[in-house]
Amino acid sequence: MQLYVLALSLSLMCFVSLFFISAVMASENEKTLSSPEEKRIKYIWAMFFIGIVVTFSSLWQYPHTISKSVHAQAINVTGAQWYWEIDKEKVLLNKPVVFNVHTSDVNHGMGVLDSDGKLIFQTQAMPGYVNRIEHVFTKPGEYKVICLEFCGVSHHDMITEFQVVEKVVAKKENKND
Amino acid sequence: MIKPSHEPHSNLIKFTMLLAGAVFLLMMIIGLVMRAAQGDLIEIDPAIFYQLMTAHGAGMVGAASLTGAAIMWYFVSRYVSLVKEVFVVFLTLFLFGVLFILGSISLGQFGAGWTFLFPLPAISGGAWETGAAAAFIIGLILIGVGFLLMNLEVGRKLISAFDGIGGALAWPVITGEVTPDDAPPPAIVASMATIIFNTIGIVVGAAVLVSSLIDLYVPAFEVDALLAKNMIYFFGHVFINATIYMAVVAVYEIIPEYTVKPWKTSRIFAIAWSAILLFVMAVYPHHLLQDTVMPVWALIMGQIVSYLSGIPLLTVTAFSLCVYLRGSKIKWDLASALLVLGVAGWSVGVVPAIIDGMISVNKIMHNTQWVPGHFHIYLLLGEVAMSFGFMAYLIKEAKSSEFQMIDKTAFGVYLAGGIGFTLMFLVSGAMSVPRRWAVHAEEWLLQDRIATVFGLLVIVGALIFVARYIIGISTYRRT
Repeated sequence: MQLYVLALSLSLMCFVSLFFISAVMASENEKTLSSPEEKRIKYIWAMFFIGIVVTFSSLWQYPHTISKSVHAQAINVTGAQWYWEIDKEKVLLNKPVVFNVHTSDVNHGMGVLDSDGKLIFQTQAMPGYVNRIEHVFTKPGEYKVICLEFCGVSHHDMITEFQVVEKVVAKKENKND
Repeated sequence: MIKPSHEPHSNLIKFTMLLAGAVFLLMMIIGLVMRAAQGDLIEIDPAIFYQLMTAHGAGMVGAASLTGAAIMWYFVSRYVSLVKEVFVVFLTLFLFGVLFILGSISLGQFGAGWTFLFPLPAISGGAWETGAAAAFIIGLILIGVGFLLMNLEVGRKLISAFDGIGGALAWPVITGEVTPDDAPPPAIVASMATIIFNTIGIVVGAAVLVSSLIDLYVPAFEVDALLAKNMIYFFGHVFINATIYMAVVAVYEIIPEYTVKPWKTSRIFAIAWSAILLFVMAVYPHHLLQDTVMPVWALIMGQIVSYLSGIPLLTVTAFSLCVYLRGSKIKWDLASALLVLGVAGWSVGVVPAIIDGMISVNKIMHNTQWVPGHFHIYLLLGEVAMSFGFMAYLIKEAKSSEFQMIDKTAFGVYLAGGIGFTLMFLVSGAMSVPRRWAVHAEEWLLQDRIATVFGLLVIVGALIFVARYIIGISTYRRT
C-alpha cells in the first residue's frame, strides 16, 4: 500500500507543481486567465466532491475497529525505556489479534513490521491508558516490533520479535491427578 | 483600497532577519550532520544525535516563527502605528529563550525533542538532569511570552483601526456591506486571523509547559498524559502553521509591487481566511490518529478537517497567485522568484500531509520519514523560501532589481537541493523507515546518503542568499 500512497502523492504533487510552472511561463503572455472566478468555484466544488467520496470510502469501515470475535487472541504489550514486553511469543494466522498496548514510563509507538521490513500497523503506548488495536495476520513468519515515538537515547534500540504461526503447539504438562 | 501610510520599522526588521538567516544556516548544517550520521557517513553518539535533533527542531521552529513575526510586523506597521519597543521586548525575550534552550542542550545534554512530549522531559533514563529539562521549558515559555506580547500589540491596533475583529477579518466584505475596494488589505486579514489562532495556541502551550515544569519538581502534581498530548499538539500545530500564515503576508504585499497590480481582499478571500482560522485549530487531532483511546469523533474530525484545510490554500492563495501571475509581466528577481516558490512549495507540501491525515494511511505512515518529508517541503520550500524572498526584497528595489546570474544559480541550487532532499524523506517513508532514529539499518543508507548530497546543495544556496543579504543591508537602505 505504501508504494500506492507514494505514487498517488507524487502524481498530485506534480499536478500542483505544473499549475505553478504554467502560471510562471504564462507571466510574459498578453493573455490572462479567462473567467478565473468560475474556474475557482469549479475547483472548490471538485475538491468538496472528492473529499466526500474519499471520506466515506476511507471511513466506512473505521480503521481502528475492534471486532467482538470470540476467536480473537489478546496480547498485552508493554513499552518501557528501552524494551518491549509481550506476553505471547506466537500468534495464530488468519485469526484476529487484539493488541492491548501499555507503557510503564513515557510515550512509545508500537510499530509492527513484516518479514520484508514493511510497516503493517501501529499504535501509541501512552502513560495511564491502554490503546487497543486489532490486526489479522495473513502471512506466517517473524514480525518485528519497533518504537515509532521518540522516547529517549536508545529509542532506536527498542526492537523485539514475535511469530505468526499456523498452529500453536501447547507445551506438555505433567498432571498428577 | 486602503494604502500603506506609515514607515515600517526597517532597521529592526533587517536585524531580526539577519539573526534568523544565520540560525537557518546553522540549523541546516545540523540537519546535514544528522542525515550524514543516519547514512553512516560520519559517526555520532546517539545521545549527541538526539541533542542535535532537539536543537534542530527548536532552532528551525524558532527561526521560522521569528521570520514570520518579522514579516507580519513589517507589513502591518505600514498600515497602523505599532509600538516599536514591543517588538524589541519580543526579540529580547526570544533571545533569552534561545539562550536557555541552547544551555539546556549543550550544558545539560537535554534531548527530548522540541515537542517536549510529556512525560519524557521528566523521565530521561539518566540522559539529562531535571535542571536541563526545566531550562528548556523555561526557554520555550520566554519565547511564548514574547510572542504573546507581540500578538497582543498587533491585535489591539488592528481591532482599533479596522472596526473590531470582524472588520479586520473583512466580514463586511462577506456580507456585501463593503466592496473589495474599501476592504482591509489581504495582509491585514491574514495577520488578524493568524494572531487570533496563534494567541490561543500559545496560551494552551504555556499551560502545558507550566504543568510540565511543576511536574518536574513536584511529581505528585499529576498531569494526564492524554490531555498533555492534546495540548502539546494543539500548540505545536498552531504555532508552526502560524509561521507560514505570517510569512505569506510577504507574498500579498510584495508581489503587487512587482506586477503593479493590486491584490484585493475579495469575498472568497475573506471567507477563506475565516475558514483557515477555524481549521488551523480544529485539525490538530490528526497528530493523534494512532491513539485509539481518543474519541472516535475527534479522530474523524482530524481526518476531515485535514482535507478541508487544503481547500483555502489550494483554491484561494495558490489559485489566486497563479491567476495573478498570468499575463502580469512580473519582473523576476531573487525576491519575486523565492516568494512564488514559497507558495508553490507550501501547496505541494500539503498533498502528502493531507494523504497522511487519513487514518488508514496514517496507520502505516505515521512517524516514518514520510512526516519529515511533507513538513520539510512546506517549510524548506515554503516558509523558509518566503523568508529568504523577503530578505532579498529588503535589500533591493522592485523597479530596478535584476535577476543576476549569481541569484539564478543560488535559486536553482536551492530548489534542486530542496526537491531531492525532501523526496528522499518521502521515499524512505514509503519504505517504512522510522523517523527520529539515530542509527539506520543497512538497507536504508542509500536514501540517507543521497539526501546528504542534496542537503549540501540546499546549504550552498542558502549560504549565497544570506551572504547576498549581508552585503545588501550594508549597501542599500530601504525605507
